[in-house]
Amino acid sequence: MRKIICVTFLICLALPGLTLAAGDAVEGKIKAYTCTGCHGIPGYNNVYPTYKVPKIGGQNYEYLVIALKAYRDGQRHHPTMELQAQSLSDQDIEDVAAYFAALGSQGDAE
Amino acid sequence: MITFRRITILATLLILLSPAALMAGDPQAGQEKATVCQACHGLDGKSILPEYPNLAGQHESYIVKALKDYRSGLRQNAIMASFVANLTDQDIEDLAAWYSSQDGLEDISIK
Repeated sequence: MRKIICVTFLICLALPGLTLAAGDAVEGKIKAYTCTGCHGIPGYNNVYPTYKVPKIGGQNYEYLVIALKAYRDGQRHHPTMELQAQSLSDQDIEDVAAYFAALGSQGDAE
Repeated sequence: MITFRRITILATLLILLSPAALMAGDPQAGQEKATVCQACHGLDGKSILPEYPNLAGQHESYIVKALKDYRSGLRQNAIMASFVANLTDQDIEDLAAWYSSQDGLEDISIK
């Protein structure tokens, strides 16, 4: 019984640590200023080739982190995104991802 | 005057027809074709796992671009590569029309 209580206690201690690894949306909002130059203009087009810049408000946090790291590490290609991502630390990426994920209909904006 | 009217009629027709020509996707057909996608992305485009992107409400042209990039190998992902290998342009446009017509993602803007 004591063992079970101890294990449960340890798990409870560890859980917030795991969630804390996620980014800080308040920091993210400040760091995301540059992103809005393209992603913040509804219907804004990428050119050559022409397609609409993806909506990222309400996108999944984990996916956004994966996408930004892939751009930064050269696994995913887009001239502007690769350049932008190269200036971001892991913490920056987590923060902006947390901010975008919280926007839109999937979460409360602020 | 007749020429001017003719030009006006032609221009109107062109304007009316062009969106249909540019956005050839059929959302209903896309919904039927999306059955394999839903295992990860959900039938309505809200992903089952957070590692996978939500597609609901994403811009149609961006989904088309992403799928074509997976098909050409420009964008690399082992799972997506196998799913898009046999998609035609029409399939891609239909899928994009379906997922973009769902409610979900939003544009961001500084508030």
